[in-house]
Amino acid sequence: MPAKANAPLTPAVLHILLALSAHERHGYAIMKQVEADSAGKVKMGPGTLYGSLARMIEAGLIRESDRKTDPAMDDERRIYYRITGLGQRALSAEIERYRQVVALGTRKRPVANAFVFRHAD
Amino acid sequence: MPTERTVAWLRNRYADLLRLYPRPYRERFRESMEQTFTDLWRDEREAGGGLFRFAVWMFFETSVGILKERWRFLLMRNANVVRLAVVVGLILLVPLVAMQFTDEAAWTAFDFAFAAALLFGTGFAYLLVTGKSRSIAYKAGVAIALLSGFLLIWVNGAVGIIGDEHNPANLLYGGVLAVGLIGAAVARLRPRGMSHTLFAMAVAQLLVPVIALVVWTASFSEPPGMLGVFVINACFAGLLAGSALLFRLAAEQADLRNA
Repeated sequence: MPAKANAPLTPAVLHILLALSAHERHGYAIMKQVEADSAGKVKMGPGTLYGSLARMIEAGLIRESDRKTDPAMDDERRIYYRITGLGQRALSAEIERYRQVVALGTRKRPVANAFVFRHAD
Repeated sequence: MPTERTVAWLRNRYADLLRLYPRPYRERFRESMEQTFTDLWRDEREAGGGLFRFAVWMFFETSVGILKERWRFLLMRNANVVRLAVVVGLILLVPLVAMQFTDEAAWTAFDFAFAAALLFGTGFAYLLVTGKSRSIAYKAGVAIALLSGFLLIWVNGAVGIIGDEHNPANLLYGGVLAVGLIGAAVARLRPRGMSHTLFAMAVAQLLVPVIALVVWTASFSEPPGMLGVFVINACFAGLLAGSALLFRLAAEQADLRNA
């Protein structure tokens, strides 16, 4: 079922879309990119990665690209995944949502501090 | 340091594990996942990691993925059956909870198993029979027929219609169900044949108290009494006849479509 572009994304889907936002990658390269993007904090196993890819293909967020070899690796032919237009829009919408949350958090911080301060008295 | 042979053996076992994924998933990702296994092991080896720890993590993580995909696949393919099982579970929670508060409800494990089988069986039969039909009349006919059969078994199992539940006269109701089963098989579930079957069941239902009155006359002195027995049977016969009329309507609609 195709996803709505403004529907919230799971953390795994968000990381995969970010990894594919610049250019297409195969499964292992996505894993490594996610790990690098998150400074090693997010480590996806194959079960999580390919399960997410299956659902993202179904939702139209990504699509399978050509099967080709990775020049940086061995000579095995690999399936590459590419972000779709819907995937780009979903990623933009999610980033905007995060931006709003950060803005809200920034605005609320003085109030939260005041609350802590009052109780400290 | 593990030998290449050990690693190859492990990769083959991993390939075996991947066979547990649902077929469409397996066909799409099996090769990529095997490649990823090799890639990740290369990383692990270069980082000085051990094969055992790597294998445990890979097999565990992938097994969790398999369970998730299997469950998803099950829901996708058999969403109605899973929903039915959940509904049956929720219904059975009622007596289970009631038993915690009152002695009036005292169900044994057999009672729960019997109720679960009967509820699930009735619902499953409905899904099976109406699966390919788009006719509302046909679906309603099936629903009423199954509901009648369900109630007939339930009431007889719980308290009995003639006398109590141990009264042999109640076994005659098995004949009503037999008429239904044989008729449905002969009609191959087609609406016109089902209409005749359900009318036959209604007649059989009305015959039961008549036969019982001749053979087990004494049973009618017990509650619900002669009038009660005939009223209950008339209600069942009414349900069965209603179902028969709906099947007849479904047959007529089908004839109009085909004309």
